[in-house]
Amino acid sequence: MIVKVPGWEMPIVWYFFLGGIAGGAYFTAAIADNFGARRDHTVARVGYLLSLPLVAVCGLLLIIDLGVPSRFMNMMLHFKFWDPMSLGAWAVGIFGGFTFVSSVLSFSTSEAVAAFRRKFSLIGMLFGFFLAAYTGVLLSNSTLPFWADSRLMGALFLASGGSTGMAAVALIMFISGASSGESWHKIEVADRFSMLIEMLVLAAFLAVLGSAAQPITSGHFAPLFWGGLVGAGLILPLLLNLFGGRVRALGVVSAVLVLLGGFILRYVVVMSIQG
Amino acid sequence: MARTLAMFTDTSLCIGCRACQVACKQWNELGLETPEWTGTYQNHAHFTDKTYRLVRFMEVPGAKPNGDLAWLLMSDVCKHCAQAGCLDACPTGAIYRTEYGTVNINQDVCNGCRYCVASCPFGVVTFNEQTGTAKKCTFCNDRIHNGLGPACAKACPTDSIQFGFRDELVAKATKRVETLKGMGFKDAQLYGADSNGFLGGLNAFFLLLAKPASYHLPDNPQRPQRNVVVDSLLSIGSALLVGVGALLAFRDRGKGDA
Repeated sequence: MIVKVPGWEMPIVWYFFLGGIAGGAYFTAAIADNFGARRDHTVARVGYLLSLPLVAVCGLLLIIDLGVPSRFMNMMLHFKFWDPMSLGAWAVGIFGGFTFVSSVLSFSTSEAVAAFRRKFSLIGMLFGFFLAAYTGVLLSNSTLPFWADSRLMGALFLASGGSTGMAAVALIMFISGASSGESWHKIEVADRFSMLIEMLVLAAFLAVLGSAAQPITSGHFAPLFWGGLVGAGLILPLLLNLFGGRVRALGVVSAVLVLLGGFILRYVVVMSIQG
Repeated sequence: MARTLAMFTDTSLCIGCRACQVACKQWNELGLETPEWTGTYQNHAHFTDKTYRLVRFMEVPGAKPNGDLAWLLMSDVCKHCAQAGCLDACPTGAIYRTEYGTVNINQDVCNGCRYCVASCPFGVVTFNEQTGTAKKCTFCNDRIHNGLGPACAKACPTDSIQFGFRDELVAKATKRVETLKGMGFKDAQLYGADSNGFLGGLNAFFLLLAKPASYHLPDNPQRPQRNVVVDSLLSIGSALLVGVGALLAFRDRGKGDA
């Protein structure tokens, strides 16, 4: 292989994973806030409040992974609309602002503030979608085999950001004792859709790649990909979600598995060709 | 912009002395590296953060005009692409194009994100752990701005590496290919000379005696950014599906306040 790998390792795997959750949790929250019932406000608040610390961690992960962390602001002195790295740096910063404002506003009981928060989150939602997807587009716009051959990396990361973001919100609702109402069921249904879409996108992703998918579908990373992501991280949680009825423990197991699968997806994609 | 400068590396003249590699190290103060056993005289196997000129040694069966094994030599370097993937990928603006058409990395601006490393079609750009920045051939930026040619071209004893104005060098190189073909080197060809060809042409272009693959060069190198629109549209499609899914799950059917 004449081309070189960039040496993006564990901090970037974590960033891709947590950034996906942050984006997914926020856009789920925004959708629940705008189109859900009044009681779905819990989902919205959990989503906003989860995305805020996650995006802060994301920023830190990106900075510590730089060769010269003290120069991270150099990315903010420049803007390239065609460059995923440049757009991504800006998006993390701007999205961070949205998560902060939405989180603060989610504590207000005033209807006027809530009305503003809903509209505000509709704009922030776009940055949430962006954050969940751009990392895949960044990898697929390189010169490295497998990454550059993928046309659906961004689409796949987005669907995974959705499923993991929703799973994280569901888990936090369970832990904080807010899982008894209809909202918990709704987020499970939303997560079900996301998992189904993720499976379809993953199938298309592999079909488009063909033999170029070998770094993850065969060899060292294959057991993790097929067993960890496809089996334990997608099919099993989807079955639990579909047939678990309203048994909350099964819903919790499903959410944990989805999160595990989301991490494995980022791990195998990022690490397989850089080993 | 001033008239575009170029380096023309005529591999048919290379004797593998590596004076270019040494001159590059000396002028740019690139420091020592642990030698690497590659199975040939080639050292290192790839460009490194301290090796900007690299003489490649290749044994290719049947590549000689009489069908014998050819021992191919090539002094490889950053191609200073007219459409440079590294430059388009750089989020800080550290990578810039000079008025002479060459591509350079401003070491005081680079923050070491390494997207350029993943965006070079030729594996040239390399991350330096000590400085935390990306490194590559500077086309001896300091020398060319002071009336001197690049150190490698200056040191080359056979004129395998020539420095000059791009248009003049391309004309010269085209004639040289004809001469070599007349001598029986049927695969003699220019690599990157055509400014309408891949990557808008290379400002460090080559004359090869065999197919590019024999020199570990890609046949048709591509801009890494060529799919950014398609990939983004597919991501938007995925976002719409996931968003509509969440919308269907949460939509208030008029009983929500119950």
